[in-house]
Amino acid sequence: MTDTFSKPKGRSESPEEREFELRAQIGSIWSGGRLFIGMYTFLVASLVFSYFYLRSSNNGGLWRLPHQHAPIAYGWSIYLLMVATALLANYGQRRLRKGDDTDFQVAGWTGVLCGLVALFLQIWQLTKLSFYPGSSGYASTFVGFAVMNLVNIVIGTYWLETTLARSLRLRRELGGEKPELSKAPHPASAQLFRAGVASMAYFWSFLAIGGALLTAMFYVM
Amino acid sequence: MTISAERPTQVVASSVAPPAKRGRKWTQRPGWLSQHLGMAIVGAILGYIVGHWFGNYVSSSYPYIANSGSNAIANTLGLSVGVLGWLLGIGALNYPLAKLIGREGREDAPVEGWSKYFRYTLDHKVVGMQYVVGVLLFLFTGGILAMAIRTELLNPTTHVFSADTYIKIVSEHGTIMMMMATSIVVGPLGNYLVPLMIGARRMAFPRIEAFSFWIFVAGYMVIFSALPYGGFPTGWTGYAPLQTQAGAGMVSYLLGFAVIGLGMMAAGFNIAVTIINYRAPGMSWSRLPIFVWSILATAALLTLATPVLFAGGLFGLLDKTVQTAFYVNEHGGSSYLWQNLFWFFGHPEVYIMALPGFGIVGEIMPVFTRKPLFAYKVAAAGMIGVALLSFFVWQHHLFQSGINPDMRPLFMLTTELISIPTGFIFLVGMGSLYKAKIRFEVPMLFCMALFFNFLIGGVTGVFLSDVPVNVTVHGGFFVLSHFHYTIMGGLLFAFMAGLYFWLPKMTGRMMNSRIGKWHFWTMFVFFNLTFFPMFVIGLLGQPRRVFTYATNLQGLNDFSSVSAFLLGASFLLFFANLMWSMFISPVKAPANPWDSLGLEWQTANPVPLYNFERIPVVMTDPYRYSEPGAPAFADLGEGASSSASTAGSSQA
Repeated sequence: MTDTFSKPKGRSESPEEREFELRAQIGSIWSGGRLFIGMYTFLVASLVFSYFYLRSSNNGGLWRLPHQHAPIAYGWSIYLLMVATALLANYGQRRLRKGDDTDFQVAGWTGVLCGLVALFLQIWQLTKLSFYPGSSGYASTFVGFAVMNLVNIVIGTYWLETTLARSLRLRRELGGEKPELSKAPHPASAQLFRAGVASMAYFWSFLAIGGALLTAMFYVM
Repeated sequence: MTISAERPTQVVASSVAPPAKRGRKWTQRPGWLSQHLGMAIVGAILGYIVGHWFGNYVSSSYPYIANSGSNAIANTLGLSVGVLGWLLGIGALNYPLAKLIGREGREDAPVEGWSKYFRYTLDHKVVGMQYVVGVLLFLFTGGILAMAIRTELLNPTTHVFSADTYIKIVSEHGTIMMMMATSIVVGPLGNYLVPLMIGARRMAFPRIEAFSFWIFVAGYMVIFSALPYGGFPTGWTGYAPLQTQAGAGMVSYLLGFAVIGLGMMAAGFNIAVTIINYRAPGMSWSRLPIFVWSILATAALLTLATPVLFAGGLFGLLDKTVQTAFYVNEHGGSSYLWQNLFWFFGHPEVYIMALPGFGIVGEIMPVFTRKPLFAYKVAAAGMIGVALLSFFVWQHHLFQSGINPDMRPLFMLTTELISIPTGFIFLVGMGSLYKAKIRFEVPMLFCMALFFNFLIGGVTGVFLSDVPVNVTVHGGFFVLSHFHYTIMGGLLFAFMAGLYFWLPKMTGRMMNSRIGKWHFWTMFVFFNLTFFPMFVIGLLGQPRRVFTYATNLQGLNDFSSVSAFLLGASFLLFFANLMWSMFISPVKAPANPWDSLGLEWQTANPVPLYNFERIPVVMTDPYRYSEPGAPAFADLGEGASSSASTAGSSQA
């Protein structure tokens, strides 16, 4: 999510102005991350609304055909992988805050792996459906859910991967055996990086919590 | 924090970036090899071809596609990959792809001259100007279609178009105009002016801002592609089951909404975050210009309501491509589901269109009345109130089409409630005019017209919120006239006010006042002559979207049509003025031609790349006109304060 750009060289700024800009950038990453989740909530809410609308309408008794079930094993596997990624992202963020960059890297890349497996399973699950997409209201909303979940995983994993790739590059840019990614005194780029990590972890928490509701709707109810 | 008074001697010239050290990147190559509009078009065409071929390859053997004459999967993939190719060609994907290997954003050296307007740029002022051209292109296209509609309605029995063609023209007109209207202020004026008005040097997410524009243009092309695909017959509302039955053009409609929706979300997101975080020191919420308040409320609506439209479009596309049944009653779906999703976005959209208009007039009126904005806090609260309440009224669009009758009073009440904060904003305008010595410059004329038009549009809206009236006039010209009065009579007049007011800042050139007044009077008079008769036509029973009508209504329809042609001609006056004032006989604009206190007028002209040499410190309220000796609005550094006190006292 960090979308900052360096200012052209040769332009003079007072230290107060630099600090103001930095605070604004960190604030933007923080509030942008939360607003993004707000936006995403409305997207997911559209699916939830559609599910309950069609379920309560039950047009022609075709909300759900008898014995129509989505592949539960795939579904739970995908969800558990998403939870694992969320836990790893949050764990990595905590370790980074405490100064352990290696733990952050290991947790993060494991999270990326989980995300990729979840992505693969989500696509694979769509090829293993035992019903036609248009056979009922449930079938339709399930396909909508699967597509949306696919997008969720892609966005979340992309965010996690780009954060990790950035941290590797930052280590080189900041130099030293133990670059100051995690504690003061710290250069602006490290502060911005940490704000981005926090927003990313927060987004994964949102996916995991929202995913619980969606998983319950489509695999339990 | 406080910004130090320490002021370096280096000024504007230093804000230009030096060229990259190791030669140019491939994205910066001169000529046809670099990333610009031309490459975007090439990318879009190639993307469309590849996507369409792939769609045919993977799906042509499906039973429901074979021999159908239409392959929605190929069309959807063609248009989607075309959009991706467009973004790739313009350079919008460079940054997301570079991030995969950990590269942080780097700002390219700014491109000088005209070619910067054809590129993916991070300068909010360039993006604002790009939006001006983009929305005018939308407006022109939609306007041509409007002329076609009125031509058809000249005679109830002799037809220019077939019924099928007519409804497709109406649908395209409505869709293009609605999508244009959602961005007409936020895009050009919001992007250009908000950072200047809040004392910021940049947007929070400049790449997202640039993305919002280029995806907006891509969305326009996708929606326009419906015509070569044979159009869509649903009107701009796209109701199912007609949506489900419609041909290939429907894919363009659904995908176009989704694509433009992405742009709207991006624009709203970026502007909201910028306003929250980049306000200059001293610019508390109570000192925020009212235009910025209106853009903030609009940005919140764009960010939160548009995802629902996006989801609705996605479900529609799934119905079309992989044969889900979200909106198919016979297979467990519901056509009402679309109506709910569409209007959950659609009614906040009305305020996405209305609020920026109010913001413009609220900003402009104090300048031409030389009075503070009356009840500033009430206006700001009214805007927030309207934004909040707009999420609770969408069901009034379903009064006639299937809502549970027991729910009608609730949504009638919420709809009537929203007229209260709207009324506050209106009264703020009236209060600002009270006992004012008004300067009737062109922007002010457009502001005054807005109040006249919006009064008619608003009062008829209150009527329409009542179930009995709503049910009686549903689907007729009365409703059509009502929303043209609010959107065109409100928003478009405000947009014109904003253009005449701020173009001198944006371009450094004054619009010709004499032609401007001709433009205003012709637009105002013929707008009313076009749309007021439609209230009568509607009450006499003429339905929308039907190409024939009762012969006794021909006189009124002809009157309306001829007025519409003249209204169209008034826009030609505007374009003529634009060409004349900008290119043929340009007159250099003074630094602050209207004596405004706004921060945007206090910075250098033309505006430097980073807007302000020093971050300004805001000292007082934004509208202290007519107060002799009022402190300057902002300290801009270098010992120079804003011209606030001078302007304020000279006009007192």
